[in-house]
Amino acid sequence: MGALSAILYREGKIRATNLTFIFWDLCYPLAYLLVFGVGMTKAFGFGASLPVDYNAFFLAGVLGMASFGIASNTSWSFFMDRENGIFYEMLTYPMTRAQYLLGKVLFNLLIAIGQAAVTMILARSILGVQILWYRFPLTAAAVLVGTAGWFFFYAIVALLIRQNDAFNTVTSVFYFVFLFASSMFYPIGPLPTPFREIAAANPITWQVDALRYATIGMGRASVVFLEGAAFCLFTAFSFGAALWALNRE
Amino acid sequence: MGPAAIVVRDLVKTYDRRRQPAVRAVDGLTFSVQRGSIFGLLGPNGAGKTTTLRVLTTLLRPTAGEVSVEGFNVVDRPLDVRRSISVVIQESSVELLLSVRDNLATFGRFHGLSTAAIRARTADVLDQLDLGDQAGRKAMDLSGGFKRRVQLAKVLMVDTPVVFLDEFSTGMDPILKRSIMVRLRAEAARGRTIVLTTQILDEAEELCDDILIMNDGRQAARGDVHTLKLLSAGLYDVTVTFDQLPAGFEAELAAYRPLRVRTDQNTVVVTLKEQDSPVIDVVSHIARKGRVLRLEVSGASLEDVFVELTGARPAAVGARTASERNL
Repeated sequence: MGALSAILYREGKIRATNLTFIFWDLCYPLAYLLVFGVGMTKAFGFGASLPVDYNAFFLAGVLGMASFGIASNTSWSFFMDRENGIFYEMLTYPMTRAQYLLGKVLFNLLIAIGQAAVTMILARSILGVQILWYRFPLTAAAVLVGTAGWFFFYAIVALLIRQNDAFNTVTSVFYFVFLFASSMFYPIGPLPTPFREIAAANPITWQVDALRYATIGMGRASVVFLEGAAFCLFTAFSFGAALWALNRE
Repeated sequence: MGPAAIVVRDLVKTYDRRRQPAVRAVDGLTFSVQRGSIFGLLGPNGAGKTTTLRVLTTLLRPTAGEVSVEGFNVVDRPLDVRRSISVVIQESSVELLLSVRDNLATFGRFHGLSTAAIRARTADVLDQLDLGDQAGRKAMDLSGGFKRRVQLAKVLMVDTPVVFLDEFSTGMDPILKRSIMVRLRAEAARGRTIVLTTQILDEAEELCDDILIMNDGRQAARGDVHTLKLLSAGLYDVTVTFDQLPAGFEAELAAYRPLRVRTDQNTVVVTLKEQDSPVIDVVSHIARKGRVLRLEVSGASLEDVFVELTGARPAAVGARTASERNL
């Protein structure tokens, strides 16, 4: 625990040097929900074919997007640490490589939980989204495992690529593919078959479906359970691969 | 002398490269470092010093051989090794966004210091390294020399039995460097083992109890400064300062087949072997060439030994073959 708390302390100290970042981290999913969700609903009548209001449908999408964004930003810090030279020094500190990876994401898991809570409270009070509060532990689990899973996934790429500009290009592609070929913005049922199959195999869909089930009760429990299990496997595999990449350093 | 703090046996490290032959950066290196000593790893660029250091600090896995630090094998017990060491790596490694004080506190936490211990040691170390005025400044706003100080301050925050310093004096002014060297001596006297790499040979000569000179991944020589200097018996430095450097002087010296000639304004340092050119002949020749303000003849320096062993000859006059360079 000593090593994990030391990394947590370090990440917290670094993040606290700019409170604007923390404010934005906490509020940006809400901003997305208010600007994009409300805009799309008003402009195009999104949600007419859905069993729920589009803002309620999109809530899980922004929570998933926030996990994805936090993970991407956290893994980008590998490049900053490399530039500072501190990356290699830290690898000589008394901790295992696994503790290093877990520690890197720990602080951001706390941010992710705070972010989800703020977004849900204000989605309820501003947009009137009916939230199943009693399922919040499930929501929290989906946010935590989701953020960790995506961080480990991105860490593989960041550790193997080692070039900041190449990493930025890859993350742009990931954003495009993972976010739009998923159930984040729309239900995947009406999509053309190949598109639907890609979306069904996309871990973002698994996470967003779990979040949607947990926040507004939409979706079948059996499907969500399978998707949740698949996402846990994805997280475990990504962690193992990130560890392998880190050991190659 | 206590038991060995570091044992390296037949260490080999190769780097695989795509579509190119593998590079053998360290090739069968064997040495040990006594506890409480200051050990210098010397060698020209590419000799394998940093690779050796990276293996010792668990940053790299050896390709072959056995390496242990404080009795812990670097492959089997890396965490125990990391608990025993603190490292100043070659690059400037500081947390740029954090203040100097927070840099030290963060490092202390990683090494398991309590909040009270961190507070007490931070005050002490800031004072010792004359960093007190900079304590609240972010590291990103510091000059290169101050960043280096912060790095050194970190290893003084903790009591790890072994300290690794890779080119520690880079960017330091002479006064600070001297005070750091005094401090390192004190740390060794307390029983800490210090391993440093450097290319500044005066620094190694003054600081190290034991020196290993590497070349092409192998040991070129090993011993204390006096032992190493014996390798260059018959080697002399003739230092002469003129009021004005005579024209064509360096070209004339070539006749004496010096190993090296270094010129700095009006001062010339000629390194030569007694068996090739009697020193007295060279001195007599020099004395006739102009008004001499200072003349000094001294035995070989560590730098001379280094040059002889590694073939690194920064300012040689009168090129000699490799076999002729053998001592």
